[in-house]
Formats: sequence, C-alpha cells, structure tokens
Amino acid sequence: MKVSLTWLQKYFDTPLPGADAIADAFTFHAFEIEEMKGDLMDVKVLPNRAADCLSHRGIAKELSAILDVPLKHDPLRDPLSAFPQADALTVEIEDPKKCSRYMGALVKGVSVGPSPAWLREALEAVGQRSINNVVDATNYVMLDIGQPLHAFDAAKLVQKDGEYKIGVRSAKEGEKITTLSGEEYALTPGIQLITDAHADTSIALAGVKGGKAAELTSSTTDIIVESANFDGTTTRRAAQALRLFTDASLRFQNRPSPELAAYGMRDVLALIHDLAGGEVTGVVDAYPARPQAVPVAVSHAHVDGLLGSSFTIADIEEVFRRLGLDTSIENDVFAVTPPFERTDLVIPEDLIEEVGRITGYEKILATELPPLAAAPDQARYRGIERVKDFLTERGFTEISTQSFAKRGDVVLANPLDKGMPALRTSLDDNMQTALVQARLYAPLVLAPGQKPKLFEIGTVFAKDGEKLAVKTSEPVADMPSIEDANDYAPVRYELGAYKPFSLYPFIVRDIAMWIPKEISENEFRASFDTLVMNSFSNLSCTINFLDRFEKEGRVSYAFRLVFQSRERTLTDDEVNAVMDRVSAALRAAGYEVR
Amino acid sequence: MNPVRDKTSETSADSPASRVSNGVNEPGRLHPISVAVREMADIFGRMGFGVAYGPELEDDWHNFTALNVPEDHPARDMQDTFWIKDRPGSVLRTHATSVTMRALEEMAKTGAVEKRMINPGKVFRNEATDMTHEAQFYQLDGFAVGPTGSVTLAHLKGTFDRFYREYFGPNTKVRFRPSFFGFTEPSVEIDVWFEAPGKEGRWLETAGAGMLHPNVLRNAGLDPEKVQGFAFGGGLERLLMVKYGIPDVRLFHSGDIRFTYAFDEKKV
Repeated sequence: MKVSLTWLQKYFDTPLPGADAIADAFTFHAFEIEEMKGDLMDVKVLPNRAADCLSHRGIAKELSAILDVPLKHDPLRDPLSAFPQADALTVEIEDPKKCSRYMGALVKGVSVGPSPAWLREALEAVGQRSINNVVDATNYVMLDIGQPLHAFDAAKLVQKDGEYKIGVRSAKEGEKITTLSGEEYALTPGIQLITDAHADTSIALAGVKGGKAAELTSSTTDIIVESANFDGTTTRRAAQALRLFTDASLRFQNRPSPELAAYGMRDVLALIHDLAGGEVTGVVDAYPARPQAVPVAVSHAHVDGLLGSSFTIADIEEVFRRLGLDTSIENDVFAVTPPFERTDLVIPEDLIEEVGRITGYEKILATELPPLAAAPDQARYRGIERVKDFLTERGFTEISTQSFAKRGDVVLANPLDKGMPALRTSLDDNMQTALVQARLYAPLVLAPGQKPKLFEIGTVFAKDGEKLAVKTSEPVADMPSIEDANDYAPVRYELGAYKPFSLYPFIVRDIAMWIPKEISENEFRASFDTLVMNSFSNLSCTINFLDRFEKEGRVSYAFRLVFQSRERTLTDDEVNAVMDRVSAALRAAGYEVR
Repeated sequence: MNPVRDKTSETSADSPASRVSNGVNEPGRLHPISVAVREMADIFGRMGFGVAYGPELEDDWHNFTALNVPEDHPARDMQDTFWIKDRPGSVLRTHATSVTMRALEEMAKTGAVEKRMINPGKVFRNEATDMTHEAQFYQLDGFAVGPTGSVTLAHLKGTFDRFYREYFGPNTKVRFRPSFFGFTEPSVEIDVWFEAPGKEGRWLETAGAGMLHPNVLRNAGLDPEKVQGFAFGGGLERLLMVKYGIPDVRLFHSGDIRFTYAFDEKKV
C-alpha cells in the first residue's frame, strides 16, 4: 500500500513525527515498511489486515493507536445520513454470495473535466494518474477509505419506462468484454459482470475493471456511481484467470466489510458534487444480508497466560481504547465489539495479539522453558547422523543435490524447469554427475593421490511413496543401515568462514628438486613457498607437498602446484612462464631442478 | 586443508596446515547443513527438543488446511506451491510446519500434553532462483506445546534468545515484530542482532513464529482449552549464509565438493 505522508497528515491535528519514527512505529507495532522515500511510504500490509488497511484511513488509524495520538476525524465513525431513494435506478443481483451488496447512485448534470491541483497531486503522490474529476474522485475515495468505486456514463445504458437497471451476473460461455484500457478479454462462467440489465450487455468486470461500453467522456452529464461488495474468492479467481490485477480486485480479494460500501458512496458523492457539480437523484441499495457485529470476549488471565506477560487490566483496556474498540469489562473479562471494518477480530487470540503488538513485543520478557522430565526423542536423527559419521570416517564427503529430475514416477503439475519436471527416484544420476565434477576438482580440494569419494543421504520418490536413501560413490564394506540410535552422539564440527572458490579451470604442474642435506626441511619449504609466490601475480596457487627422500647426501623434494585465476581461464603459456621463473629462481639459489 | 596462496584475494591471510600425501585416505567432510543441524539439535536438545521428520511430498491437509490456511484464503497467494500431476491435493511441502502438524496429531493420539520438537528438512517453493532464492531449501521448523499457560510467547522469546546466543555468539539479541501466519495467533517475525566478524552488527529477519492457532490444535485433535504452545520456522541456508559469509544460496545443493571444502573444519 503506497501511502503519502501529506495525505496521512490530513488525519491528524498534531504534526506527525519524522519519517524514521513513523517507520519504526509501523515496523514494531503493525507492518513492515518496504520503502520510505520523501513523501511516499510503501507499507507491506499483512494479509489479515488488508480488509481495512489498504487505505490511508486504515493506516492513519493504526498510527493513531500506536502513537496514542487521536485522529482529527474518522470517516468510518462519522454517522451516515440516509441517501435519497432512487426512483429511476434498480439493481438485480443473480447470486448474493458473489455480490453481498450493490449500491448505485444516479447523478445528473455533472461536468466532466480536469481535476483541481490538490487532487492531481494527491493521486500522483501515490503513483496514480489523474484522468478526470469524476474518475479521480472514485480513485481518491478508494485510496482514502478502501472502498473500490466506479462511475458509468448513464447515457450509454438503455432506459426503460424512465428507469435504468444494473445487473450483477455470471459471464456466459464465450462472452467477451472490452475494458477501459481497450483490451478485449474472453470470459468464462464464474467471472462476475456488471451489466446494463435492460440490454443484457456487460459494462464492467465486477470488482476488477470498468468496461469501454459505459466509459465517461468529456460530454458525459449523467452518471451511475457504483459502491459494491464483491466476494473475495470470486474476484481473486477472476483477476487470476484474466491476469488482470487491479487496485479494486486487490481490495475485494481481501474481503472488506460490505458496510464500507455506504461510507464509500457517501464520500464519493460529496466529492463528485464538489468537483463536478450535478445532483444526486437517488441511491439504490441492494443489501440482502447485513452482517451482525459479534462481540469477542477475552479474559485478563488468557492475555497473560498466552503472552507470558503481566499486564494490568488498565494496560489492556488502554490498548482497546487506543484502537477504538468498543469494550466493556465484567470481572476479569473484556467484551469487545469490533468496529465493522475490523473483520480480523474474531477469536480471543486476535485480541491478545492486539495487546501484544500495540503495547510492543519488547515488553514481553524472554523466559526460558522449564526443563522436561523425559529426555527428548532424537533417535531417528542420531541414527541418520551415525551413518554419515561412519562414511566420513571412511573418507566419504557429503554432497547435497536437487530433488528434481528429468524422469520419475512423480511428476510436477507446474515445474519451474520444464527440463526437470519429475522428482528423483534415486540419488544415482546426481551422484554420477557430482562424481565426474569431483574428480575434476580433486586437485583443488584433496591431497595429491587421494581419490574423491562422495555420499548423499536424501529423499527419493517412488511410485509407492517416498523414502530416505543413502548413496555412496563406491561400495562400502559393513555399511550400517539407518536405525534409531538415541544414545549415539554425532561428531560435532566447527566451521571457519566461507572461502570463495574460483569458477575458472585450474592448471596442475609438478616440480622436483635436489637440495643440500644441510638445509632443514622447514627452512627449505618456507623459502620454496616465498619463491613460488614471487613468481606470479594476479592468480592463486595451491602448493601441495608430494614427497621427500634422501640420496647420496642430497634431499629430493617434490611439490604439486595448482594454479587458478579468479577472473579468467589461465593459459598453458602463462603457467609455463611461471614455472620457468620458479625453476630459474631455484637454480639461481644453487639448487638442481630435476 | 592445503595452503592456497592467492595474490588477488584477502582470503589467503589464514595459515592453513600443510598437506601431505601418504597414500591413505583422509576423512571426508560433512555438508555444512549437516554440521549446522547437529549444532542446532544439540542446543535445542538441551532445551528439551527432540528431532522430528515428515514426508516432503505432503497432502493438502497437513501442508495447508489443518494449518488454518483454507483453500480460498489470500494467504495461499503468499506461497507459490508445486502441485503434483494427476494427484489432486498432493503438494511438495512449502514449509516443515507440516511435520509439526503430524507431531501434534501424534500427541492427540497418544494423549500427550507436552512436547517439544525441531523439524529440520527440505521444503519447496515455486519461485525463480537467484543468489538469495532457491526453489528447494532447508527449514528449521519446530514447536513446544504444554498445558495451558505453561508455554507462552515469553518462552518463545526465551528459547530463541538462548538458541541464537549459543549459535551466533554472546552478543546476539532477539526481537519480535508483528506478522501474520494462518497457523499462529499472535504471529511474529523473529529478528536477530548479529555481528559478523569484522563487520558492523545488524538486525536479520530469521524466522516466523507465534502461538499455535486454536484451530490448528483443534485440527490435530487437541483441546485448545487444555494445551497451548508456540511454533516457529525459518530458512536454514540463510542462517548459514550469515554465519559463514556464503554469498549464494545456490551453492548449497549444487553437489559441488568445492563448496563442502570451502570451510576450515575443526572437530569439537
């Protein structure tokens, strides 16, 4: 939810604190802040609060509760006055489960034109584009209180006996619609349409986007304003099927209260009147089943017993007051009647969360769990680790590979990589590939002459179910099977910091030399290291000691040098030049290179 | 480990032992995830946690529905799931919380009212891979349940406070931020203050957690009036990447032994 701080300030008499303080307030008491940039704050509204907080009012209300600063005014608490009854507009809803409320207003004599600067700026501040005064009014009220709204050009609808009729129905097989942006969509049954019921033609994708057929133009004078509530699942599926995600569909899929529609209608009619003139001839309100407010009860003991806190009754009462929750207390029990927009407050734990987060989780003091009488059951884990220890003791190195495979008995419905659509039936193929690689890399990581041996323990998926498989790169005598072993203590290791390895090929060179017996091994090996190091730049070299033997008063040393660059592929010529320098340096020191 | 003399990188500063070839195989290496799981199982074990496993190919019930994520809930949009062809209701588990669900069911069956488990395991998400995202990775999930009032959010904080101090070091701090998960209420994000060697400390988002939702306990066959507890889960690779300075998550499951050998290893 993109929030403008200037817009937010409209809700408060006192100046808001700085951007950092606002960001902290949200981060530790409500929502993560994705981005803070000048006037713009991008709030990651949590799914359970998207019903009321995808709006500046919702965000302002949260901030008011967190900072304990009152709202200047709250549009959702301003009492509604009755709308004039419509006598020239009716509504027909095919399935009230998919549209729980539809309000329509017929407004006559508006002048469609550009929006005033304040409105253009408010919309542009949150990344929206100004279209015209009437459309901007609908967008502004949606971003302000969260109710999606739409306006149709009434003249483009059929009138019968002086009456317009709006329909809400499922799309028919093969039906199509062209939206406001000019794209044509082929529809499937289930997707809800708003129709001009007298003509049975579609004028909007319900809860998603308006249609071209009843688009406002500069010559529009009479409009029908929609403030409705469409089912969350139906809207989400329609948006997904059409790959058309809009501000409206995002809000409806999070199920705002149908009560909100009346507040949206009130605010948008007032704003249209201010900006475009005209007269509201009447409002129709199809609202078959109005939800009842259900009180939620929570006890003081339950709050502290779940949070591990020691709040007083007054602490808890204070949180509910700051959130504007209608609360009565009897004995130790709080009875809270949530306001209509807080559709997330249903069970006692929902209220306990409000106490925890508004008070601040830093008030919850870290407490260690009491010890348990019985020893924990780690038998299977220890059994698996025992096999790993058995193998590492025998020189095997553990690898981990991907579970996806080219072929298998279990196939994904939606693979990420079309070339790897199945789950592995064995660890064999990955072991084969890893071993080929390991042989290639052995000089980099293993001592000379040591052959790479690998193992993997991982889940494989056969027709008759999954199982944990053990795979080694070569046969192992007396391999234990995985058995529960609660008394086995797995070997523990400490790892140092990760040392990046080069992805470029390496080149291996062996070198041997005769050294006078008088020079000690330590002395010679240190000087050899330095000598090698001084023979190159911009690459890395691993020096492996191969062997040392004495003959006729001299000592032979042999080393294996592994050269590699972090930036490029080395050439033989380059490495030969380095080796020439090494040999030259050895000779210069009076040693014989063999 | 052999001495790597590297003129282009700072990493050559360490002084590794010389390597001698004597024709006998040296011991092999454990994968860093195994090393980490052993350390975690040890720390949690001392706090009374066992280790549990469950299927990677899950059913919809244990992965979603029982965990209070109903079929048409928008929260499901948050997890991009791999579904199985011709097996409706079969998914690659998107979190190891499915193992918690199975353990809770087991508690109900045996009449236990107290249990603590960690569930280390591979999970799957259908999302594009890059340096910090993999379609398959490990999670450390877990829970502690006890009679009502005995396992609280304060205990969750205490458990993670201790876990991170033992895993990352004594300068570690833990903080909670509000969050949302279908299976917990209240829900929190657990951040940890970590000071990597030679770097400035910072807060890292490491795990999601909260108090088990009464619906989840009920779905398991437990009575939420009688038992309560916390649950948690977070990516394992991410912790290791932070602890050891590993730059790319894709290295973990590449099967490349250069990765396994990219750490100095010391037996404890």
